[in-house]
Parts: sequence; C-alpha cells; structure tokens
Amino acid sequence: MIHALRAGAYGIPFMPVGGMWGSDLVALRPEFYSVMKSPFDGSEVVCVKALAPDYAIIHVQEADIYGNCRILGPSYQDALLARAAKKTIITTERIVGTYRMQEEPKLTAIPHFLVEAVVELPGGAKPGICYPDYLTVDWADHKAYQKAVKAGEVPLFADKMLEGRL
Amino acid sequence: MEYGKPEMMAVAIIREIKPGNVVFHGLASSTPMVAMKAAKALGIEYTYVTLSDGVDHDWSKPAYLASTLTENTYTGSVASFGLDEIFDLYASGKGDIAFLSCLQMDKSGRIAMSYLGGDYDHPKLRGPGGAGSATLTPVTPRTTIWKTIHDKKTFVEHVDFATTAPAVDKEFTVITPLCIFRKPVGEKYLKLDCIFPYTTIEEVKENTGWIIDETEVPVMAPPTDEELAAIKKVDPNNILGFEFK
Repeated sequence: MIHALRAGAYGIPFMPVGGMWGSDLVALRPEFYSVMKSPFDGSEVVCVKALAPDYAIIHVQEADIYGNCRILGPSYQDALLARAAKKTIITTERIVGTYRMQEEPKLTAIPHFLVEAVVELPGGAKPGICYPDYLTVDWADHKAYQKAVKAGEVPLFADKMLEGRL
Repeated sequence: MEYGKPEMMAVAIIREIKPGNVVFHGLASSTPMVAMKAAKALGIEYTYVTLSDGVDHDWSKPAYLASTLTENTYTGSVASFGLDEIFDLYASGKGDIAFLSCLQMDKSGRIAMSYLGGDYDHPKLRGPGGAGSATLTPVTPRTTIWKTIHDKKTFVEHVDFATTAPAVDKEFTVITPLCIFRKPVGEKYLKLDCIFPYTTIEEVKENTGWIIDETEVPVMAPPTDEELAAIKKVDPNNILGFEFK
C-alpha cells in the first residue's frame, strides 16, 4: 500500500517493492501486483500499481485556516497520503494561528496547497488515539462502533457520537 | 524464581537480540513488546523501532494495554521513524530482526496471515492482512515468528494461501511456547532447534502438523533470575500474559 501510494504521489504508473517474494498475494491480484525485470541488471522485482485516492481524510492535532498541518504525534503515512490523494480533507483537534507554522516550518507535515478543506473537530480521532491529546483507545465506544458496522448503522453511530450521546 | 510459558517465550525472544541489532515488532505484539523492553532493561544495546513511529522509546514506562499502538511505544523516543521508512531500512539491508506472527505455518515457513478457510474473497476467518509481513520477510536477515499457541491447527502440514514465505538466503526462526524452530541460511525447511525445559520432543511432535526429523535437540536454559526480574520490572501490569489467557 505504501509503495502504491508513493507511485501515486510521484505521478508514475507503478513502483517496485523491496520484498514480496514468495507471497501468494502476487499471483492472486494481477491487477495490483506484477513481476518485472530490472532494465539495468535483469533482476526480477515485484511491482505494485499506483494508488491515487480521490480523497484522503486526515486527522491532525493542529491546522491553520489555510490547511497547513502540524502532526505532533506519530504521523504514519499521512503526509504521503496527502501527496498521493487528488483531494485532502483535514480534520483537526484545533485551529491555530499561522505563526505556529512560521516558527517551525519543518513541523508542518502537510502544506496548505495540498489541502481542500479544514474541519475543526476536537476528539475527531476517537474512539482511537490522538497523541498527546488523548492517549488510550476508548474500548466501549470502539465496541459500539464495531457493532454499528455489523448492523449497518454507522451513520446513526456517527450522529450519536457527534452529539455526545454514545 | 518461578516462570511459565509466557516468561520462557519472552526470554527466548530476549536471547535473539544481540548488541547493535536493529529490531522491529509488528502490530498487536504484546509478547515481543514486553521482551524487547526487558532486553533494554538488561542493558542490551540495540535499536527498537515499531509502527508507532517511535525509536528507542522510554522502555522503563510500563505498558498499560496489550496494544502496541499506544503512546507507550512512542513517548521518550529519540527520533520519529515511520513504517514506510522501516520498510525501506529493511529492504536496503540495514535491519536485523523483525518479530512477526502468523495464523498458520508449515514446515517451509510459509505463513498464512491473510485468511483461513474458504478462499480469499470468502474466507472463514479474515486475518489482519499481512502485506507488511510479505514486504519484510523476504528482505529481513533474521525474521522471527512468535506464536503463543503450539498445536496442529497452527503448525500444519501445508498452508493453502501463503501471505509470505522465508527467503532461502535468510535466517528464519519460529518461537512457540514449547520450542524454537530454525531455518538456516541456504536451507528450505524448518528444523527443531531446541525445546524449553518443561517439555519433551514427543510433546512437540504431538502438537506439530509436520514430521519432525530431529531425535535429539538441546534444552534451552531456563530463564535466569536476572531475566525474570527484568520482565517484572518493565511489565508490572502483566501485559505479557495477555496472549496466553
């Protein structure tokens, strides 16, 4: 997935992957995996097809009104996802002044020109974790979410959660 | 000091880690997490990387959840190094050990991680995916599988759909509650390497779905008081016991 997103972000049709040898996934999904020879030394390499999602929805700790984002905890592949996606929607724990970014530009993980919209949504990663704002998974809510998925009632769950009546 | 299977497995994991190693464990990996923290407590100088982006987090802070995706494996880190960077690190030959697990395995170390039963699109049991294992296993010098169950449903004669399989030119190790299997470099099949003090080769054979050829193997030394004390120190909440409940 990471390599597929990289190809999407780089604007190229596929990406060679280190590894994947011996996996039955390669033969199972020919629309996604392919084995090709290196044009340089003829060695065989597994490739994955580019992935450029229509939308990425990413939750961050701090964003300004222009969409500059600071990720204060683990960032996983969020910055890559924003570069690969056609449009990125940001939800944020809080809106901060742009001066925060100007103080430390290197901490801006996603710059404004990649961002379509910013939504201020405190607690937006719940029932998951958003370091350092909330540090543990809310298991009761997580179980309620799983139940809602199985029952096909995710919109109802989302309504209840947003209204604070889970 | 008294010990059981969880402690013996953790100690076996600790003993795999050598000074200077770069070591990774995957998601939902409470057993290697506790063992790797304990290895730090024992003073083994190695590098701890994991999915939380953390590098050498503050191991002295005990985990309070079995999840390995909490701030516990991040707080106090000396650097932030993402999973994409970890894949690159291992693919370029700069990683040493990856502690991974499986749903099922056969004698050639082929691992089922994607699903069990039925077919890929209609499985009886959908696994956690495992494309990460598929990426790491062929390139990691010492892939080490930990599995807290040792029975014939887990260690089977033939895995139908292999999410990944070991590379011939790499070491591959399997640590169970009863024993360690190893596939040496250049070989294709797992060999019984050693058994733990409370079991016998017969018991291992009875609980393994493939034929074990070895008739005599060493018994691993039991945990030392120092090793057990290190585990206690980093794991007062007994997260280690989570996978054995």
